Amino acid sequence: MANFVLMPRQGQSVESCIVTTWHKKVGDTVSVGDILFSYETDKSAFDEPSQFDGVILHSFANEGDIVDCLTPVCIIGAAGEDISALLNAGGASEEAAPAAEEVKEEAPKAEAVATVSESNGERVFISPRAKKLALQTGVDMTKVVPTGPHGRIIERDINKALDEGFIATTDAVEAFLAGTLVIEEKAEEAAPVAAAPVMVPADDFRAYDEEPMSNVRKVIAKAMHSSLSEMAQLTLNSSFNATALLEYRNKLKAGAEALGLGKITINDMILYAVARVLPNYPEINANLVDNKFRKFKHANVGMAVDTDRGLLVPVIFGAEKLTLAEISAKTKEAAGKAREGKLTPDEMSGGSFTVSNLGSMGVESFTPVINPPQTAILGVCCTTNKLGADGKVYPAMGLSLTFDHRAVDGAPAAKFLKELCTALENFDLLLAK
Amino acid sequence: MPKSQYVDPGKVFQPGYVEFQSIPMCRYNKTLAEEKKIYSKEDFMRIYHDMRTIREFETMLNEVKVKSEYNGVKYNNPGPAHLSIGQEASAVGQAYCLDINDYTFGSHRSHGEILAKGLSSINKLDEKEVYDIMKEFLGGATLSVVEKHNHTGNIKDLAKDFLLYGALAEIFARTTGFNKGLGGSMHAFFIPFGILPNNAIVGGAAPVALGAALYKRSNHKKGIVVANSGDGALGRGPVMESFNFASMDQITKLWGMDGKYSDEGMPILFNVFNNFYGMGGQTMGETMGFTNPARLAAGFNPDQMHAEKVNGYDPLAVIDATTRKKELLVNGKGPAFLEVATYRISGHSPSDSSTYRTQEEIDAWKAVCPIAAYRKKMIEGGIATEAEFDAIDEEIIGRTTKVIKLAIDDELSPRMDLEKNPDMVSGIMFSNQSVKSMDPEREAEVLMPKEENPRVKQIAGKARYAFDENGKAVPKMKLYNVRDGLFEAIIDKFYEDPTTIAYGEDNRDWGGAFAVYRGLTEALPYHRFFNSPISESAIVGSAVGYAVAGGRAIVELMYADFIGCAGDEIFNQLSKWQSMSAGILKMPVVVRVSVGSKYGAQHSQDWTALCSHIPGLKVCFPSTPYDAKGLMNAALNGTDPVIFFESQRIYDKGEEFHKEGVPEGYYEVAFGDPDVKREGKDVTILTIGAVLYRALDAAKILEEKYGISAEVIDTRSLVPFNYEKVIESVKKTGKIIIVGDAVDRGSMMRDMASNITEMCFDYLDAPPAVFGSRNWITPAFELEKYYFPQAEGIIDVISEKLMPIPGHVTTYNETELEHIERAKKGL
Repeated sequence: MANFVLMPRQGQSVESCIVTTWHKKVGDTVSVGDILFSYETDKSAFDEPSQFDGVILHSFANEGDIVDCLTPVCIIGAAGEDISALLNAGGASEEAAPAAEEVKEEAPKAEAVATVSESNGERVFISPRAKKLALQTGVDMTKVVPTGPHGRIIERDINKALDEGFIATTDAVEAFLAGTLVIEEKAEEAAPVAAAPVMVPADDFRAYDEEPMSNVRKVIAKAMHSSLSEMAQLTLNSSFNATALLEYRNKLKAGAEALGLGKITINDMILYAVARVLPNYPEINANLVDNKFRKFKHANVGMAVDTDRGLLVPVIFGAEKLTLAEISAKTKEAAGKAREGKLTPDEMSGGSFTVSNLGSMGVESFTPVINPPQTAILGVCCTTNKLGADGKVYPAMGLSLTFDHRAVDGAPAAKFLKELCTALENFDLLLAK
Repeated sequence: MPKSQYVDPGKVFQPGYVEFQSIPMCRYNKTLAEEKKIYSKEDFMRIYHDMRTIREFETMLNEVKVKSEYNGVKYNNPGPAHLSIGQEASAVGQAYCLDINDYTFGSHRSHGEILAKGLSSINKLDEKEVYDIMKEFLGGATLSVVEKHNHTGNIKDLAKDFLLYGALAEIFARTTGFNKGLGGSMHAFFIPFGILPNNAIVGGAAPVALGAALYKRSNHKKGIVVANSGDGALGRGPVMESFNFASMDQITKLWGMDGKYSDEGMPILFNVFNNFYGMGGQTMGETMGFTNPARLAAGFNPDQMHAEKVNGYDPLAVIDATTRKKELLVNGKGPAFLEVATYRISGHSPSDSSTYRTQEEIDAWKAVCPIAAYRKKMIEGGIATEAEFDAIDEEIIGRTTKVIKLAIDDELSPRMDLEKNPDMVSGIMFSNQSVKSMDPEREAEVLMPKEENPRVKQIAGKARYAFDENGKAVPKMKLYNVRDGLFEAIIDKFYEDPTTIAYGEDNRDWGGAFAVYRGLTEALPYHRFFNSPISESAIVGSAVGYAVAGGRAIVELMYADFIGCAGDEIFNQLSKWQSMSAGILKMPVVVRVSVGSKYGAQHSQDWTALCSHIPGLKVCFPSTPYDAKGLMNAALNGTDPVIFFESQRIYDKGEEFHKEGVPEGYYEVAFGDPDVKREGKDVTILTIGAVLYRALDAAKILEEKYGISAEVIDTRSLVPFNYEKVIESVKKTGKIIIVGDAVDRGSMMRDMASNITEMCFDYLDAPPAVFGSRNWITPAFELEKYYFPQAEGIIDVISEKLMPIPGHVTTYNETELEHIERAKKGL
């Protein structure tokens, strides 16, 4: 018996994924647990293991294709099995058909209205809640059996269809609700049209390659744009005497291995200091959502990591309670996962504050952009030499704090920055706290 | 029903006569020579001055109404103006005898009474007292307007400007008026001068005035209360109820408690300005049969309420009579009644063309104008000269002209700016204060320490949670129940707040028809806790007056169905005085009403919708001992009027929700906060009142039989109401049914369903369903299941309107088709 393999949905907000690699091809025999294909959400990468034994009979997506969540990626069945009915049904599995009939028998009301598919072209009555759910999940509306009063589709009808695996695209749901869906087209709709390359002569200096924006890029674009357009951001620049910090770092370098500590970076030390200072500033250790402050009980510090896919921000939760060694271990793990695309959405949400370090690239000062709905972000800059009041040159490390003026006033933000500088200048004392 | 008074059949059937004394009518006959011994020239002249001031003020309003101009000042006043031209001697004569501690309440035709009492008070207060009063009032806003325009350097003269201006600015709806313009012509008052609220409802002030007298009587305060009304008000039940309530035997026979407390009568003078017309209906000869109001009053007690008729066109006669009545009251012989015969030369209002009377009649009364006659008598008697009177006239016209100019100046006397300050009215609908005692200086008068009270001791032995440690139900007799919760909150307040009083039908001895008050009789003296006559208007109206005067009252109407008997008092008096006074008055009154069962059509109605409909009332309907005590505490500690619904079905219910039991100490359940009594995820059942337990039964059946998880939320209170918890629940379940025992049509269930639809439309899986009682009369107990919502019916409606439940067989016909048919028939 043939089965659809659906594109999983990783998290509520994920609408579609990219098939990055096929590990099996049509005709291959697969067993439960074999990796079928790899795919990416807008932020992470996953492998999809097979839940069936059998042969891949049909594939709906090529590598690089974007597939809506909960819609078919391939069909696995017995070798030589006829799957034309499946393909024609546009997503309905063979076993689902009798299931729908069973429903008819159970619910007497269904007799009058049958399934919605028969009311094609006529007005569909659906509760606001069920409609919302249908659009969110991309249920195949042609398979929904209305059981509400007046033959209205209600929430449970959508859930039942979902449980039975009847999935279509969001577009298809909208089209159906608008009364324009032609079912046979569904399979094609589900397969995304690859962007055709723009053909230009080879020697044209105006030649370019057009690429669709990647999902990660889209998310970053949206977040950054909304961040700048919706907040009142401004940046304070300051620096601190990094002598103590660098001395401590040198000590660690020398003694870490002997003590069994891993490599502890300047960035780890800054995260450590930030996590210790943050709890004193509830409005900075906060999210601002719908005019309400979420003042976090812990310092959940996001750490901006540059990856091939773009900027990712894994969160170190409860950082104020972690030792320097623990922070260091966590940041390494998170950075590794980020680069491999293995971070889950949960690991990248819930941050109360973010640290972005461009110091290693020699940036002396910059304007970090707040990661919404957070209220502030700290940029860490490189070390420059400054002349102290005592006439001696000292290494000064720059810090750039961007804050949302809607949430925080200038004075407390400056106070936070000052306290952070003091903590970093006295890093050895901070450790004793 | 005190046992000390024996109803003796031997005496009841004794033959004899009910005897009446003759009622004096216009017996005043003092000569001016005699009067000169009482009054100084200044007194005589002041009487003229005050009458003339009223005449000019009313004339000014009439001119403004009729010609849109007075003395060259143009103005248009769209508001009401019920004038009393012709009645000046009656008002001034009365006010002349009254002190600051004496209160006057009046009708819709009270400009004259307000000015007369105000002028009398200004005369009696010393300069500093007057100035302090004016300075303190509204933070000096009213004073500052007149102070800038009075250069006499005379405080009393300034005070007259203040009085006229405060009243006129109020009539013209200005924020500098006595009630910031929210009371208007018919509701103006100024307590610091002893001028208490006047009333646009004919006869409406009588029970309110009674309550103020009750406050003085029960709290040993100085002064008397004068309840002014017109003869037309004698057709009103609340007025008759007030006469009777004030005359109750118990006040002089039982309240003294064998010399322990005062046995003085009610310090109230019912004063009827008999101008012979109730608007256009002639009370003597047409719409009534008493001929003289004094005859009516004489029947209320063996003292005949000291009823007397006096010539209201002679200020000296009115002073003579009122002085004698006041003396009676001060000596504990109240209540008293005075009929002041007078005549309104002006129309009922300026639009009245006097179609009901002849010009000849009006001219005849003009010919005996009280002001002109008095002036003539004074000149002939050698008291003063024409020139002296002319000088007074000139001063008054000047003052009146000045005052109208100030009152119509939009800069000096602005109206409320509801665009700039949209909350100016909404901010005073409730006072929302928390006041433990209305008089923290005084000890509460009680008969025993609280802990010795038999009811308190009995409750101490009861289980405060409905189930024992093994989950077994505690027997009813040992179970702390809803009535115990109410009692605890109430007795605590009686020991905390000395002004707290409670009354209603069958409260004392019996302990209330539903035994909530059992134990209070032992704890409290009569003047704090007594049985009232079966007079719902007087019960609620007097509670209003009691609060206006500064006390806290708990009154009980027994069955909620009797709300209708106190309609005006609940809907127009209790609800409106806080806001009509611009927040000057507080209204700490709890009206307890009980929703019956087993008692048929006139004793079983949930009228929460009627009360919730009226702005200014808080409404609650608790169903558990915890909620009953917590809400009663909140109601009693508050300063707003509360209609406290109870249900006779569940007085003996124990606490089934708070495992730690109902706290012995003080706590409040906040008004407006609904309570999730059972959590669930598939459907929300929102309940009003005692139907909670049937909803919980339905939830149990849904869970066990159909695997549907219902969330049950108890509204607890209806005004105010916070929808947030309900919205959260609907977001979760998508479906809601609102149930209650009120009839479906126009119910709070319908109101809430409409609000929830608006607030949660996108989350709804079906329109909110409502399941109330049928739009019928309540049938007999045995048939109630066809009328009140039952658990099975709740499931039927859920299946019919929210989510058809496979396998459910309906008991009731709650289909849409049926509802359309019912609506067609008005059912």
